Amino acid sequence: MASISFRDVTKQYEGAKTPVVPNLNLEIKDKEFIILVGPSGCGKSTTLRMIAGLETITSGDLYIGDKRVNDIPPKDRDIAMVFQNYALYPHMTVYKNIAFGLTLRKMDPAEIDRRVHEAAKILDLEHLLERKPKALSGGQRQRVALGRAMVRNPAVFLLDEPLSNLDAKLRTSMRSEIARLHRRLDTTFVYVTHDQTEAMTMGDRIVVMKDGLIQQYDTPQVLYDSPDNLFVAGFIGSPQMNFIDALIVEKDGKLYAEVRGHKTDLLLIPESKAAALKPYVGKTVIMGVRPEHFMPVANLTEDNALHVKVDFKELLGAEYNLYVYIGEEKVIVKMPSHEPLPEDEEIAIPVNLRLMHFFDKETEKAICH
Amino acid sequence: MKLRKGPATALIVVAILVAAYTLFPFFLVVINSMKKANDIVANPVSLAGASFAQLSQNIQNVVTNSNFNFWAAFGTSAIVTIISLILLALFGGMAAWVICRNKTKWSTVIYMTFIASMIIPFQVVMLALISTFRDVGNFIGIKMLQSIPGIVFAYLGFGGAMTVFILTGFIKGIPYELEEAAAIDGCSPEGTFFRIIFPLLKPVITTVTILNGMWIWNDYLLPSLMLGQNGPVKTLPVAVQAFVGSYVKRWDLILPAALLAILPMIILFIIAQKQIINGMVEGAIK
Repeated sequence: MASISFRDVTKQYEGAKTPVVPNLNLEIKDKEFIILVGPSGCGKSTTLRMIAGLETITSGDLYIGDKRVNDIPPKDRDIAMVFQNYALYPHMTVYKNIAFGLTLRKMDPAEIDRRVHEAAKILDLEHLLERKPKALSGGQRQRVALGRAMVRNPAVFLLDEPLSNLDAKLRTSMRSEIARLHRRLDTTFVYVTHDQTEAMTMGDRIVVMKDGLIQQYDTPQVLYDSPDNLFVAGFIGSPQMNFIDALIVEKDGKLYAEVRGHKTDLLLIPESKAAALKPYVGKTVIMGVRPEHFMPVANLTEDNALHVKVDFKELLGAEYNLYVYIGEEKVIVKMPSHEPLPEDEEIAIPVNLRLMHFFDKETEKAICH
Repeated sequence: MKLRKGPATALIVVAILVAAYTLFPFFLVVINSMKKANDIVANPVSLAGASFAQLSQNIQNVVTNSNFNFWAAFGTSAIVTIISLILLALFGGMAAWVICRNKTKWSTVIYMTFIASMIIPFQVVMLALISTFRDVGNFIGIKMLQSIPGIVFAYLGFGGAMTVFILTGFIKGIPYELEEAAAIDGCSPEGTFFRIIFPLLKPVITTVTILNGMWIWNDYLLPSLMLGQNGPVKTLPVAVQAFVGSYVKRWDLILPAALLAILPMIILFIIAQKQIINGMVEGAIK
């Protein structure tokens, strides 16, 4: 059981011009399920590997619990790791794979046997203990890898994109299995993924990273509702948030976002957001609208209409995605299937004004949510 | 893939011809081992005079011949081959692993040196080798010529290149995460090698061991130079030379002795056949 703390940690590979991870400060609480998420090359795996001790730290301090672990080898850090390609030892049976770490620690064989069987029971592997990894399916291998980490009772559980080699259906079921495992083991989990769905569904808190820098570190709900900047806004949520240029104008004491597509629309900015946007009057900002924050046409008023040109429609079953244009800008609109839109080429769709986000065009930082 | 009948038959005929061509010398050794000296000289290809009684008589003559000392030579051959093979597998595996996983300028240079040494024919270095071994032996105080440690050392050098070359190729295909997982599980680097890497090398080590084993067991030139005709230790191929006089060649002893010398290799090959082919195929497709 341990917290993890990065203090000004920098990682720079030999011969590289810039660090992969520059000056990272991150506090992970004991027993938390933390997700490191970001596009490939953002430094999330490097961060995880620094916790594991598989990468050296160029400068700064890394603490697990209250122990500085910079110079402690992986085996003495009280961690366990699940790798993307499982990394099961091919020449050992499932039993030996799971028991290996315990055998090396010269644990009492009876205790090893007890722990292996306990883990196998939890992960439904009991009938496979004598098989070699070669004779297992992808999902079974993944469970063996989890078992191998579990039996060690580590203070920190590290998972490096553990589900990315599985098919979609298995991924969904393993997702809940891992979340359940976290509740059961009640220990710190650090999970790396590039899949925002995994991040949103599993983590207590999410670290969104880009170019080695933390963009935002908060709960899934906060990331979705109040993204700090354009990157987080675009990364969290699927399909991703639409970004539309809007000019802030003042009329009769009220603020409006003026959107110039093939028609000019004036969207009324609610009181709650008006104060923050006041200094931007006369300036262009980026307006963020999630596809799911458009409303059925019944709600259409003068103040919330966006005129769009329909490109095509993608039916998903319960809902559909409508691909439309506002001027040159491509925008995705999500609608429930039972809310058919007029089949015209040009239509007006109402926007939920309360849920609009505004970002500064230059700094890309959020102005208000 | 299934061939049509015509081409399939043609292939079988070709295969039989190639097999016959390859096996013919072996066939000559076998039938002539079963004949008296006169019959061999009269017509080496004929079966006239061949009998199992004669074979056992000839073998008895070989084994009891005081010049030849069959069992001592057999023992020397076995010791030299087995020790060389064990050390080649062990050190070859270690060297290949380090070359593969420590990517530095020096590891590349060392790897290239191994490869380069494969190109140089043995005949080019053999004379210089003898004098160098003598000097080194004198310097370190261990007899390098006419001794088992000396020739094992030489085989390590000459066999090392190919062993490292083949093993390096194989180790490249082993995912590095296995070693990282082992490090987290608590393995030291040595532990990782012996518990993870070495067991995984089994198929390819079997292949390399068979290739090296056939070469070392049958090798004539290196032991004849290093051990000498009149030295205290002789391997089987060198010892057979005892039957070749300046004026008389005892074919009725040379051929049964040669037969006895190759027999262990043939038996080994038959037993390990499946392993060898598996090793080669696995190396090829992984």
